[in-house]
Amino acid sequence: MAMDVIDYEIFGSEMQFVEVELDPGEAAIGEAGVMMYMQEGIQMDTVFGDGAQQTNGFMGKLLGAGKRLLTGESLFTTVFHNEGSVKQRVAFAAPYPGKIVPVQLTDIGGTLICQKDSFLCAAKGVSLGIAFQKKIGTGLFGGEGFIMQKLDGDGMVFIHAGGTLHERTLAPGETLRVDTGCVVAFQPSVDFDIQFVGKIKSAIFGGEGLFFATLSGPGKIWLQSLPLSRLANRIVMSAPTAGGRSADQSSLLGAGVLGGILGSDDK
Amino acid sequence: MTNNLFIGRLFGPGIPGAGIAAGAAWEQSGRLRITTPDAGHSIRYAEQPSMTSGGFNAGGLRISWQDGEARWVFIVDAGEEQARCKTTAPPQINGQLNGVTREQNRLERRFKAGGALLAFFILLPLLLIVLFLANRESIAAWVVQRIPVTHEAHLGDLLLAQTRLQMKLIENGPDVAAIRTIGSKLTAGSVHRYRWFVAERPEVNAFAAPGGVVVVFRGLLNAAETPEELAGVLAHEVAHAELRHSLQGMVKSLGLRAAASMAFGDISDSVFTDAATRLTELRFSRDAEREADANGLQRLVAARISPEGMVHFYERLASEKRSSPPALLSTHPSSGERLEWLRREVAGLSGPWQPLQVGLGSNKY
Repeated sequence: MAMDVIDYEIFGSEMQFVEVELDPGEAAIGEAGVMMYMQEGIQMDTVFGDGAQQTNGFMGKLLGAGKRLLTGESLFTTVFHNEGSVKQRVAFAAPYPGKIVPVQLTDIGGTLICQKDSFLCAAKGVSLGIAFQKKIGTGLFGGEGFIMQKLDGDGMVFIHAGGTLHERTLAPGETLRVDTGCVVAFQPSVDFDIQFVGKIKSAIFGGEGLFFATLSGPGKIWLQSLPLSRLANRIVMSAPTAGGRSADQSSLLGAGVLGGILGSDDK
Repeated sequence: MTNNLFIGRLFGPGIPGAGIAAGAAWEQSGRLRITTPDAGHSIRYAEQPSMTSGGFNAGGLRISWQDGEARWVFIVDAGEEQARCKTTAPPQINGQLNGVTREQNRLERRFKAGGALLAFFILLPLLLIVLFLANRESIAAWVVQRIPVTHEAHLGDLLLAQTRLQMKLIENGPDVAAIRTIGSKLTAGSVHRYRWFVAERPEVNAFAAPGGVVVVFRGLLNAAETPEELAGVLAHEVAHAELRHSLQGMVKSLGLRAAASMAFGDISDSVFTDAATRLTELRFSRDAEREADANGLQRLVAARISPEGMVHFYERLASEKRSSPPALLSTHPSSGERLEWLRREVAGLSGPWQPLQVGLGSNKY
């Protein structure tokens, strides 16, 4: 299948969006609800399934949609099609603070395994599938669950994750231990496993949980510095309704007491 | 040589981190010959390669070798390419390749076993619900058996009070005395203290509430031609009460929770009142009717009352063409099948019966 080659530009630093340029006749698929803006000539079309196989019949579409349900995405994909005669742009915004990373699937062999809701948008023709984690231990304790997403094709895909997204290359045999939940994506050649932290003391008091995720090369991996769940935890913990401290972080002696009385504009 | 080629991805020093696509083929010496599609179709050789499974889900076949300090890996693509790699391998490599296959199969097996276990635990509550629904009847019956007699009597009292509001009940007099005479024969040995009433209503009907409250409608007294006929209806109603059919119906309509609270204590009056209200609207199931027929028949036989009356009465009610069917029939669907069964059973019974010597309905008999 012919993939659409798309040009793109990423804007912003911590809360990014990507602007994709579509030539006449080109199309991009986006996760439902991430579209930020689009220019005049672009037609938005919602398709059942992942938009990759348009001619597979009803059962094929149903299967595709079922897969999308499993990966926690919406049943429908939105296809943005340039119907005009000039180049037009459409932008997709990341849903929470983090980075957008473009990955050219041809560079990595055509397949990318990624965290189940990290997909943002892609050139039309990329198929979104599921990759079951078959190692039970990794599925349970690896931080990514049993269901991961598989992006297949030879176009460009944009993935998004929290904090800073870091791309690393693992040489053959090189192993990296990663905090569970920080793995965003990897090439299928990479071994994704778990490893016990080593000592009971560390397991209980180390704050890293019982297991590390281990990634062994060769291949490319993408890590996130701040999983959304961790960010959400911190926000909830410091929310006043959850018993968190109120806004001012200053010391008690400094602005604490007086500031609390005089400087509070939120009361 | 070319048909022995299998495709994969080569990783090593001087190659982009994501690897490059390459083809490989085994040589008879056990050496792997790797061709990369770059400008000069450069060829590399893997001396003494070692095979492991690796990559996501251990689905990849990793062929790795050492070239001086450098470490190289060729990962064979999944599916056909791996199969070709395995079939074309020289004999000295086979041992290692089989090890990889075993490893891959083991992971697959474990995954399936784990999946089955997981599915079992997910489906367990569903299974329990299905089991519960399938056994609802017997669970209801079990709960009903636990309801104490005193509670049943209480329920009967409430129902009686409600009935009094709807119709005039006669507690004394010759008719009630006659019914009591017949009834006490039928209910000999019961744990309940039976109370008998006549309701001044024209419908041909009678009902038995839990706890031994039996109400016979005036219409029924008039329709019955012999005391045996009345006894037949009474036996049927008493059977309903003794078999706790109305309680079972209540359990079904109120839900097991209310019934369980009644069986195990923790009762409030509202539970009873609610239950009593439901009881007045209750319809028995066909099974319950059949059971009551059989039990009623046994009671008649035990009391040495002729069961012919029961048959006659039902026959007459069924054959009579009325604009509206008698209430007794509408609430007690006396289908031809039930009547047939009753006839057959009665035909097999033989006396001697003691004739009933009671006066009924203004000394009609």
